[in-house]
Amino acid sequence: MSWKFERLAGPYNRPLGGLAWDGSGMLFADTMESTILRYDPRRGRVSVWRKHTNRTNGIALAPDGALFGCQEGSRRIVRYEPAGSATLTNQRMPDGRVHNHPCNLVLDSKGRIWFSDPYNAEAAWGPQVFGKLEHASVLRLDQDPAPQRRTWTIERATYDTSNPRGLAFSPDEKTLYVSENNMASEGRREVRAYPVFPDATLDKPRVMHTFGADVRGVHRGVEGLCVDADGCVVAVGGWSRSGPGPLVHVFAPSGAVLESHPLPQDLPNNCAFGDGGLDSLYVTTAEGYLLRARRTGRTGRSMMHDK
Amino acid sequence: MLEIDMATPALKRLVGPHASFDQIARDLKFSEGPAWNRRTGEFFYTDIVGDTIWKWKPGVGHEIVMRPSRFANGLTFDQDGRLLVAGWGGRTVWRMEHDGSITTLAAHHQGKKLNSPNDIIVRSDGIIYFTDSFGGLCNVGMGFEDVQRYIDFAGVYCVAPDGTQLRVATPEVFYPNGLCFSPDEKLLYINDSRFGLINVYAVHNDGMLGKGKLFYQAVGSETGIPDGMKCDVEGNVYCTGPGGIHVIAPSGKLLGRLRIPDHTTNLGWGGDDWCSLYITTYYGVYRTRLRVAGVPVW
Repeated sequence: MSWKFERLAGPYNRPLGGLAWDGSGMLFADTMESTILRYDPRRGRVSVWRKHTNRTNGIALAPDGALFGCQEGSRRIVRYEPAGSATLTNQRMPDGRVHNHPCNLVLDSKGRIWFSDPYNAEAAWGPQVFGKLEHASVLRLDQDPAPQRRTWTIERATYDTSNPRGLAFSPDEKTLYVSENNMASEGRREVRAYPVFPDATLDKPRVMHTFGADVRGVHRGVEGLCVDADGCVVAVGGWSRSGPGPLVHVFAPSGAVLESHPLPQDLPNNCAFGDGGLDSLYVTTAEGYLLRARRTGRTGRSMMHDK
Repeated sequence: MLEIDMATPALKRLVGPHASFDQIARDLKFSEGPAWNRRTGEFFYTDIVGDTIWKWKPGVGHEIVMRPSRFANGLTFDQDGRLLVAGWGGRTVWRMEHDGSITTLAAHHQGKKLNSPNDIIVRSDGIIYFTDSFGGLCNVGMGFEDVQRYIDFAGVYCVAPDGTQLRVATPEVFYPNGLCFSPDEKLLYINDSRFGLINVYAVHNDGMLGKGKLFYQAVGSETGIPDGMKCDVEGNVYCTGPGGIHVIAPSGKLLGRLRIPDHTTNLGWGGDDWCSLYITTYYGVYRTRLRVAGVPVW
């Protein structure tokens, strides 16, 4: 069955980023405008959900209704509270240094935040008094369980990435899927499956898929991914410049390619399931389109942890 | 020794040859808020990222005034010698009373939290002016508690010393940062870090401002942007910018630059004769001596 994508919004002529289904609408990041928008599928309309988001890209809803966001422009993960404020987690590594430009994030059932922390060509806001880390990794924020503290600490999760982008958990949270998307000619562009140890460290990954290069240049790998209710990995990537073009890939947990669907717009950035049955796939692109394919035959996982 | 770039010979009258250049503090993480307390002969400054308000007394040394400081930024003193603070990360303007207690003077505009008060001055009638840029909500390492911005503009505000009558003096500067009065208080200079310029405003008797006019555009390839800004008693404007401190005649003409060997953030006059110029940079505090006195802090 082929998926038919319709254009819901755009082009904004600037990259759209992270997505999160809030139960009745799709939140999506207008990163460079520092705005989070919301698409209401019932009315077919886009409205402003939050302004002044300091280049928030990846977003994820917490079970209590707060939205966590990756502020690329402020190099931190914040919590957009339902009442309107934005509170901090922790942007400092244990040694006091500030992490890079967080890109995407995912929450696990223990309330930990896992986020990709690549470099970004666009500098953060304000004076550049904080150097970048010498590594671009997946990092993990753990919150102190003591109710009177609630402080966050950061742990490094990957030691083998140079441009981690999308990430998502398998339904049993025993596997963390990460896309590494290093566009240098010698760089790796892979979808990886990292086994998660009980202490939340990661084992060496299994490579599920590799993206190559041809005479036209390197093939753009996966920028964003999510996991459906069956545990399959739905990933967006590719571009028109080289390779097979902009695509949605569906991988079985083994890495077997179950489906691939061409996208009508170039440079897809991220994807998420939404709509009533959670069976529509929404896709954002770098040129500023919000796309949707309905009745995909696949179902997303609810933001409420369903274990 | 202070290095200078002379744009016109007139700078010589303000800056003598072989002007001293001393380092007062080092190893800071982002210094700001230079303010001289004439009553105690102490120099106050902030380390924003270090989350501390400091003071330094010549011959005595440095002492912490407040830590944590909620990432305090600009400082000045009022006519009673009380420390006034542009609270930046803490999103308020506040005063430290003589007994050390804190009085909040401004926190909200029309029910919305301020952005992040940046720099602060006091007019001779006691009215406090401050800039409310938004860097405290987005700059790395400076956020505190709530970093959501609620006010779409970045205002320059004035407020009465008892914390009443908060008014928008002007909403038209994109990123208002340093501000200072001309010696006769008829003009208010406000700079804009984003566009690298200084605007000048006529000040009405009620404290409100006329329409802004471009006074100076800072150019230069070196590090630095319009940030802190003060006047001398002759009305020359000293403003941080590329390379250090730009000295600008009341006509808007550049007289020259004081070369500072680090990214300069602010400056404040001090010393018994107000001829010392204290200079904050990202990582340190410096002091030089000029041939002209600055407009005194109350």
